[in-house]
Amino acid sequence: MSETNGFEPKIVAYVCNWCTYLGADLAGTSRLEYPSNVRIIRLPCTGRIDANLVVKAFEIGADAVLVSGCHPGDCHYNAGNYHARRRWILFRELMETIGFDMRRLHFSWISAAEGKKFQQVITEITEKTIALGPYNPYGAEPRVEPLSPMPQAAAGACDPAAELELRTAAKRVLESGQANVVIGYGARGPVFITRPDDVDRLVWNANCHQNLATYLKRKEIRALGKAAIVMKGCDERALIILERESQIARPDLHVIGMACNGMGQPKCAACDTRETRFADEKISSAQPPADMPDRYVAVDQILAMEPADRMAFFTAEFDRCLKCYACRQVCPMCYCERCIADKNRPQAIDTSPHRQGNFAWHIARAMHLAGRCVGCDECTRACPAGIDLRLLNLTLARTAEQQFAYRAGMDPALDPLIGTFSLQDKEEFIR
Amino acid sequence: MSRIGVFVCWCGENIARTVDIAKVVESVAEIPGVRCAMNYKYMCADPGQAMIREKIASEKLDGVVVASCSPHMHMKTFRRAAAAAGLNPYRLEMANIREHCSWVHADKEEATRKASDIIRLAVAKVGYDHALNPIKVPVTRRAMVIGGGVAGIQAALDVAEAGYEVVLVEREPSIGGKMAGLSETFPTLDCSQCILTPRMVEAGQHPRIKLYTYSEVESVEGFIGNFEVTVRKKARYVDIDKCTGCGECSKVCPLKKNLSEFDYGMGMRPAIYMPFPQAVPARPVIDKTQCAKIIRNGCGLCEKKCAPGAINFKDEDQLVKEKVGAIVVATGYKLYSIGKKQESEKITGYGEYGYGKYKDVIDSLQFERIVSASGPTNGEIKRPSDGKTPEKVVFIACVGSRDNAKGLNYCSKICCMYTAKHTMLYKHKVHHGEASVFYMDIRSGGKNYDEFVRRAIEKDGAKYYRGRVSKITEENGKLIVRGADTLAGVPVTIEADMVVLAAAMRPADGIEELAQKLNVGYDENGFLMESHPKLRPVETNTAGVFVCGACQAPKDIPEAVAQASAAASKVMVTFAANELTREPEIAVINEQTCAACYACVRTCPYHAIEKVELRARNGTLIKYAARVNQGLCMGCGTCVSVCPSKSADIEGFTEEEIYSMVEALA
Repeated sequence: MSETNGFEPKIVAYVCNWCTYLGADLAGTSRLEYPSNVRIIRLPCTGRIDANLVVKAFEIGADAVLVSGCHPGDCHYNAGNYHARRRWILFRELMETIGFDMRRLHFSWISAAEGKKFQQVITEITEKTIALGPYNPYGAEPRVEPLSPMPQAAAGACDPAAELELRTAAKRVLESGQANVVIGYGARGPVFITRPDDVDRLVWNANCHQNLATYLKRKEIRALGKAAIVMKGCDERALIILERESQIARPDLHVIGMACNGMGQPKCAACDTRETRFADEKISSAQPPADMPDRYVAVDQILAMEPADRMAFFTAEFDRCLKCYACRQVCPMCYCERCIADKNRPQAIDTSPHRQGNFAWHIARAMHLAGRCVGCDECTRACPAGIDLRLLNLTLARTAEQQFAYRAGMDPALDPLIGTFSLQDKEEFIR
Repeated sequence: MSRIGVFVCWCGENIARTVDIAKVVESVAEIPGVRCAMNYKYMCADPGQAMIREKIASEKLDGVVVASCSPHMHMKTFRRAAAAAGLNPYRLEMANIREHCSWVHADKEEATRKASDIIRLAVAKVGYDHALNPIKVPVTRRAMVIGGGVAGIQAALDVAEAGYEVVLVEREPSIGGKMAGLSETFPTLDCSQCILTPRMVEAGQHPRIKLYTYSEVESVEGFIGNFEVTVRKKARYVDIDKCTGCGECSKVCPLKKNLSEFDYGMGMRPAIYMPFPQAVPARPVIDKTQCAKIIRNGCGLCEKKCAPGAINFKDEDQLVKEKVGAIVVATGYKLYSIGKKQESEKITGYGEYGYGKYKDVIDSLQFERIVSASGPTNGEIKRPSDGKTPEKVVFIACVGSRDNAKGLNYCSKICCMYTAKHTMLYKHKVHHGEASVFYMDIRSGGKNYDEFVRRAIEKDGAKYYRGRVSKITEENGKLIVRGADTLAGVPVTIEADMVVLAAAMRPADGIEELAQKLNVGYDENGFLMESHPKLRPVETNTAGVFVCGACQAPKDIPEAVAQASAAASKVMVTFAANELTREPEIAVINEQTCAACYACVRTCPYHAIEKVELRARNGTLIKYAARVNQGLCMGCGTCVSVCPSKSADIEGFTEEEIYSMVEALA
């Protein structure tokens, strides 16, 4: 056709079986013509359509993707579309930050009675995509954008008495048999104290920034039996999530809460959990900083760039990824026995350290951490390639807080962000 | 290498007109794994199906793609054909090249290209299709009906008559529900008790109906065919097996001035009472909040008087478990509380009508008792305040209904009819009296319904004013009703002796808690949600749980009864075989890789996923995991999306199938 200049866009539509698929059927029965570029993939419900599928569509060269299902209240399965909508809100924010061309990603509710709407939506998406031209998000020229450094908090003074108190507590816990192992900080990284005589190996100083909760998932640690763990207020949030996800039995865990005046990390600048809230015993005390900077200033900095620049920036970042999975290994929330990245039937995420697979991995990882990441920033610190992974986690944490008043691990009573929904979830992006 | 057969249908000219069949066949024949590519004018016709069957046999096909119309149209047809030829039906896929292609594209070249692509996707998918077998779930062929009003009684009797046992659970001391308290019913004016009480007796005496009155559902476990319901039998303080129903206890009870629940406060009853003479079971109950013996170990006269020794002051609530295969919910309605006190903040009352303040402003169910031959006034119309016969009665329709300002925006459906009935019943007993009605619209759709309303107006002379009442005040023993006649455009003031308010219908108390126990949805007004408003009107989204009567929406007796029989018939369908057969396209969880985070458990709209412990043969715990209950899963796949390790998957739409389709587009 002349107006396309020979460009035939590839449009992938993931649709639910009961509304949009039938809407497309009705468009057929009503002989409502629309451009032929769309390829429909039928799924039972929008609840089944996850971020990986959308990313996959762009990987195989889609110029635009449509996700469409039943209107709110009409879901054949009661609530699949509500669950989907919440995930899409988060997913869109993530893609926005990464710099995907959001004009290529479409969401709609099309009922079985809306053959006309199906025709309109497909026609408009096709025309729009033709106007935009071919798309290859993975073809961006990588470019390192200088980001102004994150606000660093000065390391607060550590109470020397606290270290002594900690050792005494650890000794008591081990001697009384309350725990078989104390997980704490040592002079050169984590220590796992099993004998009361060794408690002097425990330290409490300005280098204790790591979140030790990650060791609770390790088989070799679990094999030691009941554990006591040294936790800061920020680390403790991870325990709340892990308990919620049935990964730890909180009554079996003895938590020694250390008050912390900041460890000089970016996360410390806006920290409002300087003391543990649910620890079994608390040592020392701390005050939140007087003036609290915006927690999400790094995201604003990214979003201040043009989408193409953001894409160039993240392409440069992800291009350095070695797929060493240090980020996964160190994350307290990554405890799956078999990671989706290691699942090869089908291969949702390309394992070789190439651009597409790197994008797919980091998007999937961020989505898995939505509403779960407690912002310990271990992934960023562990990354040997220095990828600023924090930006992705912060993006979703920001969305969670701003749109759903949800902060991971803050309120143990709150239902998880993903897996629940509200009828009031915003849907201005869905047509 | 798979052996896939592709069968391209012309659908007469429907597909062939815009899709170049020959070209399509040629291109799909080259797809790796495709053993043969055929085409025929009408694949769904006998010769077409025969061709598929023949090729499955001769080419030993292990997968089939039929490229024709929508799977919603003919998937079953073709899967049956495949099964007949010995191929597992779930290894057949359809490529929709009619609705999604030939009918919506005019350009032959484009349509042909798209058709080839659509078939390519289906071929990619069919290569990963698992052979599936229908899931069999054992069925306990025994039903529970919750609520013993007219709908519940009807449902219970229907199911029992079909030969199945029924457990009927009623919250009140007697079955009968609201209808037992009605006077006469529209549009025939036949006596409510004359119709209902024989049915109550029948239900009470039926050999296959087990009656739990004064009992409530405590908890529900299990799933279709296999529910276990715990019923709380509230302490009645009367052994209903020993009791003969003689009524001596009520006669000797000194505490006779308690407002009768059955008469909606229009009459009195003792502390030990039978709610009404025709109660089923005809056994009394002691109100523990009133009985002097229970409160302060006083009195005890009834115990002394009771010859069979049926009184037991030490009675306690009992929990009993019942195994049933299906549940019918028929919990009915209550009236909107007109006064200030409301059940939720968004609903407000009508302070301006003085209900609760003026004794002679009553609601419609109270009027039913006053006008009922078995009521506290023996059917003589006497107003509550002084027992005088009211000369002028004002009836106000839509009190609460269709009133956004009060928080209820729905129509209660039956008020127009019963208000017309009320005017008639009143006029038939007080011939010189004047009945006036304030209404918004008259909604009298139904067999002989509009004729009935016309009769009230034209024959019995009820005065109908289209308009609302703004305020009711009391002056010198008269109720001053200030309203408007909007048709005449004039204000109307009536000095009435009594006012009857047609209050909105609300679902019965505790409906939301019950719905949560049953995992059934309810709307913003608390009415239970049917699975589909038109095609599945008595099913709910929990398989095996059905609804009927006013708990689903406001409705009148004929409708409630019809719906009850519909629900009963659905129960019978469930019980038709020893095993239920369910579609196998549901979720499966790989327990080996499951990390037991239970995101799926929290997300599943059907509560179909359970936490399980995997144990070695010697009993040591290996790990925790999630497992799909095949009786509950509906196959939406929401669990797959939230599963971080993708240990969950949906048969028929597996990850491998979906990704193979997307990748076929590369």
